[in-house]
Amino acid sequence: MNRVAAALLVWTLTSPSSSGRGDAWPVHMACSSGGLEVLYQSCDPLQDFGLSIDQCSKQIPPQLNIRFGIILREDIRELFLDIALVSRGSSILNFSYPICEEDLPKFSFCGRRKGEQIYYAGPVNNLGIDVPQGEYQVLLELYNENRATVACANATVISS
Amino acid sequence: MMPSFCLAGTLMMALFFSSLRPESLDPCVEVDPNISYQCMDQNLHKIPNNIPSSVKHLDLSFNPLKILGSHSFSNFPELKLLDLSRCEIETIEDKAYQDLHQLTTLILTGNPIQSLSRGSFSGLANLQNLVAVEIELASLDNLPIGHLITLKTLNVAHNFIRSSKLPEYFSNLTDLDHLDLSNNYIQTIYYTDFQTLRENPQLNLSLELSLNPIDFIQPGAFQGVRLHELTLRSNFNSTNVMKTCIQNLDGLQVHRLILGEFKNERRVERLDRSVMEGLCKVTINEFRFTYADEFSNDITDFECLANVSTMSLVNVYLRQLEHIPKYFKWETLTVIRCELKHFPPLENPFLKRLIFITNKGATSFAEMNLPSLTFLDLSRNGMSFRRCCSYSDLGTRSLKHLDLSFNGVIRINANFMGLEELEYLDFQHSTLKKATVFSMFLPLEKLLYLDISHTNTKIDFNGIFFGLTSLNTLKMAGNSFKDNTLSNVFTNTTNLTFLDISNCQLQKVSWGVFDTLHRLELLNMSHNNLLLLDSFHYNQLHSLKTLDCSFNHIETSKGMMQHFPKSLAFLNLTNNSIACTCEHQNFLQWVKDQRLFLVNTEQMMCATPVEMKGSLVLDFRNATCYIQKTIIGASVVSVLAVSTIAFLVYKFYFHLILIAGCKKYSRGESVYDAFVIYSSHDEDWVRNELVKNLEEGVPPFQLCLHYRDFIPGVAIAANIIQEGFHKSRKVIVVVSRHFIQSRWCIFEYEIAQTWQFLSSHSGIIFIVLEKVEKSLLKQQVELYRLLSRNTYLEWEDNALGRHIFWRRLKKALLDGRAWDPDGVAETENNQQEATTSI
Repeated sequence: MNRVAAALLVWTLTSPSSSGRGDAWPVHMACSSGGLEVLYQSCDPLQDFGLSIDQCSKQIPPQLNIRFGIILREDIRELFLDIALVSRGSSILNFSYPICEEDLPKFSFCGRRKGEQIYYAGPVNNLGIDVPQGEYQVLLELYNENRATVACANATVISS
Repeated sequence: MMPSFCLAGTLMMALFFSSLRPESLDPCVEVDPNISYQCMDQNLHKIPNNIPSSVKHLDLSFNPLKILGSHSFSNFPELKLLDLSRCEIETIEDKAYQDLHQLTTLILTGNPIQSLSRGSFSGLANLQNLVAVEIELASLDNLPIGHLITLKTLNVAHNFIRSSKLPEYFSNLTDLDHLDLSNNYIQTIYYTDFQTLRENPQLNLSLELSLNPIDFIQPGAFQGVRLHELTLRSNFNSTNVMKTCIQNLDGLQVHRLILGEFKNERRVERLDRSVMEGLCKVTINEFRFTYADEFSNDITDFECLANVSTMSLVNVYLRQLEHIPKYFKWETLTVIRCELKHFPPLENPFLKRLIFITNKGATSFAEMNLPSLTFLDLSRNGMSFRRCCSYSDLGTRSLKHLDLSFNGVIRINANFMGLEELEYLDFQHSTLKKATVFSMFLPLEKLLYLDISHTNTKIDFNGIFFGLTSLNTLKMAGNSFKDNTLSNVFTNTTNLTFLDISNCQLQKVSWGVFDTLHRLELLNMSHNNLLLLDSFHYNQLHSLKTLDCSFNHIETSKGMMQHFPKSLAFLNLTNNSIACTCEHQNFLQWVKDQRLFLVNTEQMMCATPVEMKGSLVLDFRNATCYIQKTIIGASVVSVLAVSTIAFLVYKFYFHLILIAGCKKYSRGESVYDAFVIYSSHDEDWVRNELVKNLEEGVPPFQLCLHYRDFIPGVAIAANIIQEGFHKSRKVIVVVSRHFIQSRWCIFEYEIAQTWQFLSSHSGIIFIVLEKVEKSLLKQQVELYRLLSRNTYLEWEDNALGRHIFWRRLKKALLDGRAWDPDGVAETENNQQEATTSI
């Protein structure tokens, strides 16, 4: 018993504090209902983050409510989102969208500082589309005015 | 006992390793040597001691430092910026930052600070920015910063502050100009909260109170308070609360008031006239209003704001804007992302600046009447303009700045009449119609900046830029030119310093296009289809510093590269189709020599030949060309030598024969080389041609001629036999009409035949001097037979014919000349050849 405890202690003391660094982050499920399943994995080597989507459905409503939590590693005076949608190896859509602008920002989390925790629960505007059956890869990247990655996710959308 | 011993051992080892790791390794990244170090998220438990003392920027964020002891940073006296974001700091001991006299920015974001002592921030004599966001701060009173008199910015957002009362120490902070209290728990604002500001009117503070759940402001709380900026976004839970609170802002003097909500923090259901009425008692210069969903349709609701000089409406559901009352003294109006029914045909005597961008609903432009307008930005509306642009469209004569970029179709039907004051004009990414029909910019002599990039303009009229004599900057990327040739459109724009003609599908550049642009400093010709880099085009650009020819199809250069202007400092030739062949080795060598002046030479790739494709231009070896050159040179020299020798051999063939055969040479028993049988009518030819060429040429032949060599007093027949045949090796028969008619000649010829038959070693050489009629020739059956069977020499009176004639004759005569006993038969054969061949 003591041996086990000793080994455990050695492991906790010597392993890096943020366990998982170097390896890939675990795959999380953002939602799974209504024939739609969204899985994601952080592709930022520095950190993982939390995301969940309310009312997951194949018919994505124009106002989709999400919850998103992260500890910022960068200031986000300005924030941009890049979305790349890939299906069966071919790129379908590339999209870039400014989320925070310096002057009169749209969202309350704009202008937050490095080290600050953000929790966003609210709507995400989209075109309101029906997801055709299939499996899609979505690469999402949030970056700031210095092109430093704020968050990055490889998401898989499975519509059945 | 045994297991506990093991445990102690492993524990010690573990502690040893864990304590060793941060120190033994250098976990920090050197961003700028001796100046800037980045140690983010390195699991440091204490401040690394291997960082040089000259460090100015130190990022220690995301390390579990936990406690900052006193004099923690005494090793870094020159520190200007210290980032301690999320270091799990709970305690900052007295004098923790002592000695940091140079520090201007201290970032403490995300630390759960429980314990601060009075001297926690002592020693920070120059601190200007303190970021204390999300540090679990419950009150401004708890922050011992009263002595930081140099402080300019204090950010205490995202804390647990419940009171907006500014502690007394704020009266010391005379430089403070920005206080961020957003995202706290301030619910009520009392009169006493801003007493410090009333007592210290020199303060010019910008106060950020957004995202506080304010439900009560004491009447007169802001009475006598003067602020530079006050931000109240997403503060109120309902229209009523907002209305009351805004009414209680009375007495406030504020330069800029920002009111409204965030997109994701909507609480106020309706904003109406009554809410805005509260602002009548507030002195405001600049008003900004953001995210108001249900705002009334009546612009007169802003009556209380009639005297503000700057009005900004961002994401306000306005519907219409056109009936702004004439007494509204707005000088600047900004309308961004507002829901409007249509573009407002504004009329206002005061408006100087109108910024109307990214608005939905504004689909087509309508005439305005804004006589004071100097600045007009109508970009990004996707709007179409049926007519553009003149005084009558905009109703102003003082316009200096006009931005119509990112719109729909703009039909040009006027040449800016009445808009002569324009200095800035931007049409990019709108579609210009009829822009090249006339000189549309003719009156714009003061224009400094013009952008017509990506406007679908096909330039087929050289006068398009006439009148733009002051123009500094011209951007016209993404258009096209007639025949894909850059034509002489810049003759008038002599003041240009910046010219962008990238993405114009250019294949050619006409001569002298840039010759008038002596002040041009930057020329962008990238993303075209140019095939050659011709330095002659640019040699008049005496001020050119940057030339971008990247993303073309340039294979090589044309002309001398020295013709580039001396001022040129950057030349970009990357992403072209450089041909790495020996043919262009001068150019390739030039690229290598100019590595400093060319941009990213190390990324320049070869496109041809196939085997060089993808390799670097700098890797091209000139040596391979030298080898090829040597081979080519050697072969040329050898071919030349061989042909010279051959020529010489040909020319001096007979000399060589003579030299080779001189020792063995003798005529033997013969005195003459040949006995010539000819008609006396042909004597002129014999004397002038035959004798001259054979006896005086090389080798000299000795001919037997009757007029010269026959012994007088001897019978002709005897002479013929004795002197002619006996003493000659060969017989030359000069056949002509006279020859056939002359009996002596026929006699001589017959004797020759007989004699040849008898002696069996002499040959007869026929020379046909002139064409003889067949009937005449047939009289001499034997001769006719011989001539028709054997080869004879035919005299031709032209240079080439003569040359060949004499060579053949000499060769025939030479055959059998140098003989020895064995050579007789050979001579015979050769002679046979001479007469039969060719």
